[in-house]
Amino acid sequence: MKSKIRIAVPNKGRLKQPTIDILRRSGIRILERERVYNSETSNSRFQVSFMRAFDIPLYVQYGAADLGFTGHDIIVERDADVLELLDVGFGRCNLVVAVPRNSQIRAIEDVTDVPRVATEYPNTSRRFFASKGKQVEILTVRGATELAPILGLAEIIVDVSTTGETLAKNNLRQIAIVLESSCRFVCNKIAYRTFEREVKELIDRLKRGER
Amino acid sequence: MKYQRYIEEKLRKSFILWGYEEVRSPTIEYVETLSTDLGSELAQSMFKFQDFDGRILALRPEMTTPVARMITTRMFSTPEPIRLFYISNVFRYSRSYVERGREFWQAGVELVGCGGNRADGEVISLLASSLRELGLNQLRLDLGHAGLFKEVQKSARLDPEKEQIFRTLVGRRDRVELEKFISRNDFSSELKNLVLELCEIRKLREAASALYRRCGFRKAKRFAKALSAVAGVLSDHHLEDEVYFDFSLARRIEYYTGIVFEASVPGFGFSIGGGGRYDDLLWKLSEIRIPAVGFAVEMEKCLQALHSQGCELSTTPDDIVRVLVSSTSNERAVETASLLRESGVVAITDVANRTRKKLIEYGKLARMNYVVIVESDRKRPWVIYDVRSGMKKSLPVKAFLQEICRSRGR
Repeated sequence: MKSKIRIAVPNKGRLKQPTIDILRRSGIRILERERVYNSETSNSRFQVSFMRAFDIPLYVQYGAADLGFTGHDIIVERDADVLELLDVGFGRCNLVVAVPRNSQIRAIEDVTDVPRVATEYPNTSRRFFASKGKQVEILTVRGATELAPILGLAEIIVDVSTTGETLAKNNLRQIAIVLESSCRFVCNKIAYRTFEREVKELIDRLKRGER
Repeated sequence: MKYQRYIEEKLRKSFILWGYEEVRSPTIEYVETLSTDLGSELAQSMFKFQDFDGRILALRPEMTTPVARMITTRMFSTPEPIRLFYISNVFRYSRSYVERGREFWQAGVELVGCGGNRADGEVISLLASSLRELGLNQLRLDLGHAGLFKEVQKSARLDPEKEQIFRTLVGRRDRVELEKFISRNDFSSELKNLVLELCEIRKLREAASALYRRCGFRKAKRFAKALSAVAGVLSDHHLEDEVYFDFSLARRIEYYTGIVFEASVPGFGFSIGGGGRYDDLLWKLSEIRIPAVGFAVEMEKCLQALHSQGCELSTTPDDIVRVLVSSTSNERAVETASLLRESGVVAITDVANRTRKKLIEYGKLARMNYVVIVESDRKRPWVIYDVRSGMKKSLPVKAFLQEICRSRGR
């Protein structure tokens, strides 16, 4: 019997529901989705596993999952060697550099004196500031990054912004875009070889199922 | 360690059976030797440091260049083709946040001094056969052509930066972006169609016929011939159905000039090994033109792949008997252990002065076959505990050794 193809699906957050929906429109209905890690689907060739979007690049790179859906920003941050086969269109956002509205810093060029940068994306941030020739101290936080400048933990944050609303609410101003992101359909390099036909068919169906 | 040893011994046995001789090279060499034609990615990954006179040394990041250097400096008079293999550790610095390893064990072969397809076929076949011997199932090989890839890039007149982008796009299998890139960079329509077709083809003979049909660039027919010749020798080795064409398979190393290939198994996310033809490397090291082809397998990856296939490794041969010897007289314990070792039995003396009960417990934990208690009086028989069955008996030395011989024969 041919082994099943495992798809990693985000278990929460803004990518979860659109992923479940696009899979359904592509003919893969997830049979169980409450409080389970693994589920069979209406298509007997595919199984899904639910996990944090942040871990999906890792599972796919190591081949623990063959396919997956996760943000481009996360793939870049994880520095994952996976095939990004399709931009599925949803989950669009920017990874941005932001400062308090009253900050002296108006652009990246104004950054001096090794400021502290709070972020959930330390690797991407480090690379970004290095590419601009700016020395910064990166502080890795887990969520609620906007809080860092309010309490004086950091002068700058690097965070995901979809509409800019959260930044504005917290009196923050965007000064640069680090990365434009959206949800990607990713594949393990060896799994692509093993399941090329099935993967290509799924890509075609995902394209038709895009909105 | 025993699993690593299993992989090592199995691979060594395969390589020896195919007539390859083992070589060992220094761990440390001059950086300029090691980086000959390596490509920037791997060259940057070397651990470098200074010698006493200020010259820069490095830990070898792979084995092909060190072996090639040995051939050019030490093996002038060896008749070609030269068949060599190595089982060595290599060292790489990694910027990746995922890959944390710095030292890797590689086993590989080099077939040096022969440029034909038969040599290519032999090396690919040896790779397949040695991986199968390890116990790996559903092996798959993917094959590309470094020369073909370079020639396509040359025909498209890409600058080095764009070559890099092109290679990445083809490697990522991102057709949409690739098509955009091709139209931005004025590929001729024949070349465009050829590239897009080659990206989708998985059979060597189909790739060859696409090259014949489409031409696309000046040397296309030559590569078509080369690919169908490779398909021919692979079929002699009964491998044609296991080897797939993959245009994107441009391995990270610069020195490849001809075929390049990678081995993988389904369900394991990494390739386990690979190699290719490098006809210019020895010339660059010594100005002697010697063609060569080889491969390396990553031994840790082999082990992980075996585990992922649920393979039970038989690491200790059944005929090894392990005995724990204890005596109130250390001299007698030492003497008894020597006697047992002379008969080819693994013997350990109890250096911890354990009580009988503890001794037997330890024997179980340490996977001993027998625990032997020897009295200081030479005339008295040994007390022997069979650890597995829990039986205890008194036997004279000779009778015990005979029993061991019998149990080995089983």
